[in-house]
Amino acid sequence: MDNPTFNEDDCGSDLDEISHSFICCVCRDLLYKPIVLSCGHISCFWCVHRSMSGLCKSRCPTCRHLYIHFPTICQMLHFLLLKMYPVAYKRRENQILEEEMEQGIFSPQLNAQDTFSTMVFESNSSSDPSSTRKGEAYANTDVLMSDSQVQDDGIGTLVEISDGNSEVNRNISVEEKYCKQVSVADVLCLECKQLLFRPVVLNCGHVYCESCVIIPAVEMLKCQVCQTSHPRGFPKVCLELDHFLEEQFPKEYMLRRDGILLKLVDVENKLPTICSTGTAKQGKPAKQGENLPHWSDPHSRVHRGCGCDSCGIYPIIGDRYRCKDCKEIIGFDLCGDCYNTQSKLPGRFNQQHTPEHKFELIR
Amino acid sequence: MIDFGRVQKELQECSRDMAASGIKVSPKSDNLARLVGTIPGPIGTPYEGGTFQIDISLPDGYPFEPPKMQFATKVWHPNISSQSGAICLDILKDQWSPALTLKTALLSVQALLSAPEPDDPQDAVVAQQYIRENQTFLATARYWTESFAKASSLGVEEKVQRLVEMGFAEAHVRSALEAVGGDENLALEKLCSG
Repeated sequence: MDNPTFNEDDCGSDLDEISHSFICCVCRDLLYKPIVLSCGHISCFWCVHRSMSGLCKSRCPTCRHLYIHFPTICQMLHFLLLKMYPVAYKRRENQILEEEMEQGIFSPQLNAQDTFSTMVFESNSSSDPSSTRKGEAYANTDVLMSDSQVQDDGIGTLVEISDGNSEVNRNISVEEKYCKQVSVADVLCLECKQLLFRPVVLNCGHVYCESCVIIPAVEMLKCQVCQTSHPRGFPKVCLELDHFLEEQFPKEYMLRRDGILLKLVDVENKLPTICSTGTAKQGKPAKQGENLPHWSDPHSRVHRGCGCDSCGIYPIIGDRYRCKDCKEIIGFDLCGDCYNTQSKLPGRFNQQHTPEHKFELIR
Repeated sequence: MIDFGRVQKELQECSRDMAASGIKVSPKSDNLARLVGTIPGPIGTPYEGGTFQIDISLPDGYPFEPPKMQFATKVWHPNISSQSGAICLDILKDQWSPALTLKTALLSVQALLSAPEPDDPQDAVVAQQYIRENQTFLATARYWTESFAKASSLGVEEKVQRLVEMGFAEAHVRSALEAVGGDENLALEKLCSG
């Protein structure tokens, strides 16, 4: 092939060193501001948004799994990629920013300082002291590691785990040239504060081990950190991330697996936590459909191309509340449910929405 | 706006494993929105041995909208129009996903050649023949492959030009070449005798 346009592509030349797990299936470039769908597949913020239908249910580009809520960026993955591929990630940032300037619509700005504690959804964190505490703890990894030792001393393997951890840290600094700074502290479960094992990402972007997500008996699954509900049943394991963890921290990962198996033996009478997906599958199928609006209903009012800035439902069905004061092109909208519960949240496209803004009802 | 960065990456990827897949995609001009794909006919089908060219044009929304694909090489198949080359394939319509690529789409087209779907036809005549007289269908498909998709038929334009230079009318030359399966000498004989 002798096409001259092939050679001028120097912007993607750093792609060879990037793990295949972190190449977006849509733009074929390094993931930027990654979003994990509830089926466990990862894509960039804009790639997910553009591939959503805006008219009816959307499908995962990879597996065609149906969904309707636009998930929030997974900040843990964002900062992990930033650390692993600083040059390539910066290139992506500039590229996307240029596109955003052209279109006048912006993706959320993520700052390392307020990771997790003041996430997009938590402007009212004062009402939820536990989330702030966990957010701070996450930022300070030393506290985390000692924390986990003290808290979970019921498990015999834990001391070993933290020992293994420091060893793994040491090994990594020598062997992996491109991600020498990445340590277990970058990939911890928000609940158990250990290396993620079979990670799942909720609609709010927070990451847990599959076995650490608490399934409520009656209501919708809620994030233990930000209290945002996770629509549509139990999320699937993010396998790309899981494989990466297994490869990157083999010893740590094995200890985690053994630890979880050990726990299972100890509490054999209780519901085994590792089978949470199994129980979710058995218990949830009838429920899955409940949260979905009735598409065949000719009376349901679909606001085409217009999503809720709180829960992420896209398109909004039924009552839609539009902010009269937000100046951004994309505007600021809430669905009826979110308007009645948590209307004081910032937008998903970096809108400068404040609680003082007034809404109008659009039917 | 077409994501040209992605199109370039796709072309690179495709040229890298061309030896394995046999699938080739190349731009028609400097404009990456118009391309030509080439797929080999699947082995064990009447299309075996043929090389099929497919015109690709990318819509503005690519990759969030499917690429437009159409056979440039004439082909006898229930799901491909024998007149226009239009392809009836779900992934090129409502089942498109932005995770698919030009290469995977062409692979699906290749798979369609191996597994016709006569119940969802693009060309009703071919589909009827496929269902009612399968032997005739196979013979026709093989003949079309021989005539239009073989290496010997690929240089058809040059042959036409040479025969036209000998003093025959272009329309006659083309129909003669088509009738004899693309063989220049046979076509010449036919033209002289006719």
